[in-house]
Amino acid sequence: MSILVDRHTRVLVQGLTGAQGAQDTRYALDAGTQVVCGVTPGKGGAVVHGLPVYHTVAAAAATHAVTAAVVYAPPLAVRDAVYESLDAGLRLIVVLAENVPVHDAVAIRARAERADAVVVGCNTNGIITPRQCKLGGIGGDLPERIFVPGRIGIVSRSGGMSAELGHTLKCAGYGVSTAISMGGDAVPCTPMVAYLKRFDQDPGTDAVLIFGEPGTPNEREVAQYLQANPGHKPVIAVLAGEFQERYPPGASFGHAAAMIQDPADAVSAKRRMLREAGADVVQRLSEIASTLARAGVHPLPTLE
Amino acid sequence: MLNLTEDLTKAFLSAQGLPVPPGTACDTPSAAHAAAQPLRGGAVVKALVAAGRRGKSGAVALVDDADAAQQAAQRMLGTAVAGLPVDRVYVEAREAIAHELYLSFVLDSYPPRMLLSCRGGVDIEQTHAQTPEAIVVMEVDPVHGVMPWDALAGWERAGAQARWLPGLGRLTAALWQAFVAADAQMLEINPLVVRADGTLVLVGAMLAVDDAALARHPAWRAFARSAAQRGGRIANDRERAVIDANERSPGAVFRYTELDGDIGLVVGGGGASLLQHDLMLAMGGAPANHLDATPGAGWQDKMGAVLDAILANPCVKGLLVSYNFLQLVRVDQRMQLIVDLLRARGIDPQRLPIVVRLFGPGEDEARRIAATLPGLHYMPPDSPIDAAVQRIVELTQ
Repeated sequence: MSILVDRHTRVLVQGLTGAQGAQDTRYALDAGTQVVCGVTPGKGGAVVHGLPVYHTVAAAAATHAVTAAVVYAPPLAVRDAVYESLDAGLRLIVVLAENVPVHDAVAIRARAERADAVVVGCNTNGIITPRQCKLGGIGGDLPERIFVPGRIGIVSRSGGMSAELGHTLKCAGYGVSTAISMGGDAVPCTPMVAYLKRFDQDPGTDAVLIFGEPGTPNEREVAQYLQANPGHKPVIAVLAGEFQERYPPGASFGHAAAMIQDPADAVSAKRRMLREAGADVVQRLSEIASTLARAGVHPLPTLE
Repeated sequence: MLNLTEDLTKAFLSAQGLPVPPGTACDTPSAAHAAAQPLRGGAVVKALVAAGRRGKSGAVALVDDADAAQQAAQRMLGTAVAGLPVDRVYVEAREAIAHELYLSFVLDSYPPRMLLSCRGGVDIEQTHAQTPEAIVVMEVDPVHGVMPWDALAGWERAGAQARWLPGLGRLTAALWQAFVAADAQMLEINPLVVRADGTLVLVGAMLAVDDAALARHPAWRAFARSAAQRGGRIANDRERAVIDANERSPGAVFRYTELDGDIGLVVGGGGASLLQHDLMLAMGGAPANHLDATPGAGWQDKMGAVLDAILANPCVKGLLVSYNFLQLVRVDQRMQLIVDLLRARGIDPQRLPIVVRLFGPGEDEARRIAATLPGLHYMPPDSPIDAAVQRIVELTQ
């Protein structure tokens, strides 16, 4: 079991004809993902890795019963690309681009909430359910080097750290139900707590590993959710960036921030809130396996 | 986030059709004299730096004539305010203030927020601390935006006089549109002045915009370059060299910030950089820099600039080259580049301790490449990220 993606997910690639779109798609196909078509405006009729390319998402989605899109548009083209997939009825959209303007991310998130869609990112390297479906660059050319099937969920604000956590679990004999790089931007299109709720409902997940960073209310919202749902699954949190609190802030600019800034958005406060809400907070990745074991979550025999 | 200076902010607001007092940026006292000459009702001279609290740090002067404007400019030019050099002043027409209001939009997380108060002015934070109800905070739905009637209702809650409401509603809605058009993360109008006749004018204005959107705002790019900051201060020469390397070509971006410590960090990605920095401090080590990188084209050239900066920093006594488990980048290519760069710069790892943790595709070959530069400490396969940090801390003690 898994969340969001599995062997039945039928994937459309926006920007399949570009270098990164083509390379990631090659690796995704090799990893068993059902990529079914691509879209590049102006390049309809092209074929990449045997997959047909269309001018529009609507035409591609109507022909191929698509259930998810991966977006390889450059940052300033992301907003329109996501709107196009939402308009075509897609309800799972993964956005890879880094440096998407925050006003665009905010607009995407508002539209996605209205459509009851999940937009992963921006600035994510993707999501993976090992041996079933991989959207984006996550795991690279040989995802099993990092992510093996298992029963731990991962949600990370850092793409690189989702790999580091996957590898840490693998070295300790654990595997992953689904790993999600949610993107490290100030406004993610889907907040961390939304993924955690899905993992809590997923019978294939026994515990969740989260990686947090300074700023944003993501980790505070997770703590509030855990507090309100005492029956939640074990959550292990790794939070990085506390050092920023040791350095002086820059010159103040305006009064607004001082009036509305939430002190709970600092890493030290997030750690405290998560602990109080019942999560296990660790600083060293080498503590993850023993913490899982203490929570009664043990490695399974490999599913060969 | 890029904090704009007042001249750029006011020029932008004016171009959006919003009411701002006439003003001129001046880089000499005589230019300030000339700018103040035609202003009949007196002038305000302000140090033109992108910092708040200028009124409380002597960087704002109310003057009655052009001679006084010149003297104020003379006094401010060449000083520093909030660590920023004052090389220009802003000379602006003085407004007759009947009432001071406060308005800001903030986009630091979802959703954006609007703050309104009828008790504007320099003590707004004190007002907030003592009587928080005097500041109305409203969430803004990004699809709907701020309509005049939404804003009017907010101002009514904030206690605005009835006769101001129609104008405030329209002005606030127009300011929201300007906020979006600027790709702003913060816009603060303080004070928003009500004149005796009930008309409105934007006297204090601060605008912070999104760096990621600068491609849509060419007018601000030159300023962005000159104002580049690292760690809350103006970038030093080594940091500037890395910024210049980033700008030579589109693609990869390395954000290099120097700190007080002695261990150079060549680390990534973003999360692993934060984690290793925390671990190093917890283990008693002190980073000489923070590094955060966006992968992309021109990576080799820009990494060379980062290594040059780190090696030119006289405080550096050791180097940590450590990434999270790599997924798409070939480890051998990265190792080859770093070994080449170190060799070209005559670095002997037997004198300058260097710990390497590069795991991922091509790792076996990377280990062979590393072995050609004797003394590199390559972490054993599968060792955790904290072990690499521990090792460099021990080697530099």
